[in-house]
Amino acid sequence: MTATATVPAAPAAPSHQPLRGLTGLITTTDHKVIGKAYCLTGFGYFMLSGLFALLIRAQLAGPGVKLLSREQYDQLFTMHGSIMMYLFATPFAFGLANFVVPLQIGAPDMSFPRLNALSFWLFFFGGLVMISGFLTPDGAADFGWFSYAPLSTEIYAPHVGVDLWIVGIILTGLGTTLGAINLVTTIFTLRAPGMTMFRMPIFTWNMLVVSVLTLLAFPVLTVAMLMLLVDRHLGGFVFSPANNGPILWEHLFWFFGHPEVYIVALPFFGVVSDILPVFSKKPVFGYKGLVFATFAIAAYSLTVWAHHMYTTGVVVLPYFAGLSFVIAVPTGVKFFNWIGTMWGGSLTFPPPMLFSIGFLLTFLGGGLTGVMLAAAPIDFHLAKSYFLVAHFHYTMFGSIVFGAFAAIYYWWPKMTGRMLGERLGKAHFWVTFIGFHTTFFVQHILGIRGMPRRVASYAPTDGFTFLNRVSTVGSFLLGISTVIFLVNVALTARRPADAANDPWEYGQTLEWVTTSPPPRQNFTALPRIRSNRPAWDVNYPDNPGLGHTPRRASRAP
Amino acid sequence: MRRHRKFARRARVTAAAAALVSTSACTVPRFTFPRPRTRQAEAILSLWQGAFIAAAVIGALVVGLILWCVVRYRAKGPQALLPKQTEYVIPLEIVYTAVPVLIIAVLFGFTYAAQRAVERRAPAPLLVEVKGSQWQWQFHYPAANISVIGGPSTAGRDSAPTLVLPVGKPVRIALTSADVIHSFWVPDFLFKKDNIPGRTNEFDLTVTEAGDYIGRCAEFCGLEHDRMTFRVHAVPAADFDGALAAAGGVK
Repeated sequence: MTATATVPAAPAAPSHQPLRGLTGLITTTDHKVIGKAYCLTGFGYFMLSGLFALLIRAQLAGPGVKLLSREQYDQLFTMHGSIMMYLFATPFAFGLANFVVPLQIGAPDMSFPRLNALSFWLFFFGGLVMISGFLTPDGAADFGWFSYAPLSTEIYAPHVGVDLWIVGIILTGLGTTLGAINLVTTIFTLRAPGMTMFRMPIFTWNMLVVSVLTLLAFPVLTVAMLMLLVDRHLGGFVFSPANNGPILWEHLFWFFGHPEVYIVALPFFGVVSDILPVFSKKPVFGYKGLVFATFAIAAYSLTVWAHHMYTTGVVVLPYFAGLSFVIAVPTGVKFFNWIGTMWGGSLTFPPPMLFSIGFLLTFLGGGLTGVMLAAAPIDFHLAKSYFLVAHFHYTMFGSIVFGAFAAIYYWWPKMTGRMLGERLGKAHFWVTFIGFHTTFFVQHILGIRGMPRRVASYAPTDGFTFLNRVSTVGSFLLGISTVIFLVNVALTARRPADAANDPWEYGQTLEWVTTSPPPRQNFTALPRIRSNRPAWDVNYPDNPGLGHTPRRASRAP
Repeated sequence: MRRHRKFARRARVTAAAAALVSTSACTVPRFTFPRPRTRQAEAILSLWQGAFIAAAVIGALVVGLILWCVVRYRAKGPQALLPKQTEYVIPLEIVYTAVPVLIIAVLFGFTYAAQRAVERRAPAPLLVEVKGSQWQWQFHYPAANISVIGGPSTAGRDSAPTLVLPVGKPVRIALTSADVIHSFWVPDFLFKKDNIPGRTNEFDLTVTEAGDYIGRCAEFCGLEHDRMTFRVHAVPAADFDGALAAAGGVK
């Protein structure tokens, strides 16, 4: 792997010693350190919230209120959802982007490095504020992560844990919004010479679209949460039933909430779109179609929020059902792009590839049940049931968790200079895959048979016991899979940091031409960028894809 | 003789086909859905059956393609040549964009028809006002001026209130809430709708089968949400007044 440097990069930065240790970590503006800090903190919250999920599943392993009181159960499922969405999925995706996007576009850092640090610290302390509700006498928020009014108002939820939850969401939401501004600016202004928009990696494309979507959706959430605080403490009546406030809340929340699920899923669509070509030894199939499909998904995601509100009786059903069906088309296009990428390739299956295929198979299930739920009459039966819980986890776990682990294994050598163990990685994948489907497949049937979500218990006569027990066994397999991952990380820490620039050998995007880990300014030299896979062009100059040959090759030096 | 036998065989085949068509509504499996007990639920079940079959076919196709790639294109040892670097096959891309558009157009047609059937308003229905509150249900019958009130209970037992409904007669349910959002769900009716404070939600149903069913609150509404259950007691129309009087209601 020799990187043929033909275009000199920016002159070396003035040489002052970067601060080391804790002070260095707190004061850093290096996008790579901030990106890793985001991912690490997000993963910590993932494990905490996963632990909550295990407690929830342990409670539901049998009928009756046994392990947890109803108060504890309600706090745990609320905080499980809140932490996973606000403190794991969103920050982890932005953390990956923080690390990867500047490398993929040949930039030395983000556009606004100090704003970047501010975003991280808003997330860090916002998260602590959110979970500090557990330290208050009446506990954390306990009304579900979408906090429907009036259950979340001062009348029904007067405790201070709720205020901490709201303030935590406002703070982390602000951090996410600032991070999105930073990413958009970086992608528009800091691309290396030759890195045209249609040569950007799909991950970078998706992060651009996600950032725009964030700027449209997150302010709505932040403002809704502020108005909820006004209602709770300043006597506002914004969400009062007297003026249809409960419906207003649902509209505001889901106008954020539906784009939010794409904000957290699209980054991992991008991850998989970058990984599949590398381990198929082919370019991504239908690159431009894939980019346009992302545009379409993002645009339609802003028009379908009320499919979460079919049972309220206040929405125009055919409009929202029709548009929700339409989202299946660009999503289907992506699936065929991914299959087309593998088709005719030469496939190898290290952990990043396994997790990517796990993503494909799992997210497919969530997509199909999503089309069913988009049909209002079917939703009348299945909304708010365990079928919906299963659908939601097939989409969110399928994209975010499988995608996150694919990304971790894929970019770990670039982040740390070490390779994660392959055997343990494969074991980790199989236990995760089997554990996930054992946990969540049966929940479809529970929902169809009439088990509502968010119940602290059920009766022996309900007939829910056996399938719940299966689900609980699966969830503990998922717990074990995370332990396997942690062991893998611990063992890796003892290995020498000797990863090659491109340890996967068929890397295509720009991050694989620099060292692992990259220097402070990312590149000592940049290759000529002539296609959407500059690293491949460096390593396999005789095998450019069709249309890759520069039109005026004779002008190349 | 031979011709006669041929005729007989053809007649048998035709009869079998006719029988298949006439009973197809019963022979298509319900794919784990409960048997529908209302006229509206029959439309929902048909839509579910169609959607399930379509999803199963599409799912099997996509899983098949993914697994085919995994098995067929697995790298076999070190290879001297890289695979063909295909980037675009425009006709194929047009096909796999256009075909899903057709599929969802058909699905939309069926969805719209089913929704119309579910939401159709009946003339002169029996009105039942259903009020949800933390964590119990109240069923008020304005015509008979009877209210049935219950307390929190698991799985529709003990103190759970009973919603008495006549079989074969259209009923209009009017949903309200005294405090937070609740949701009225009878899984055997394949239907739920929200009780929202500050507004009234109405829907019509016609029960087709006498029996006892469990009703639940489907929207999380606070501490004892899981115990906010009720019984549905569907009786022949002739027995309705007696059953309602026996349900423990107050005038």
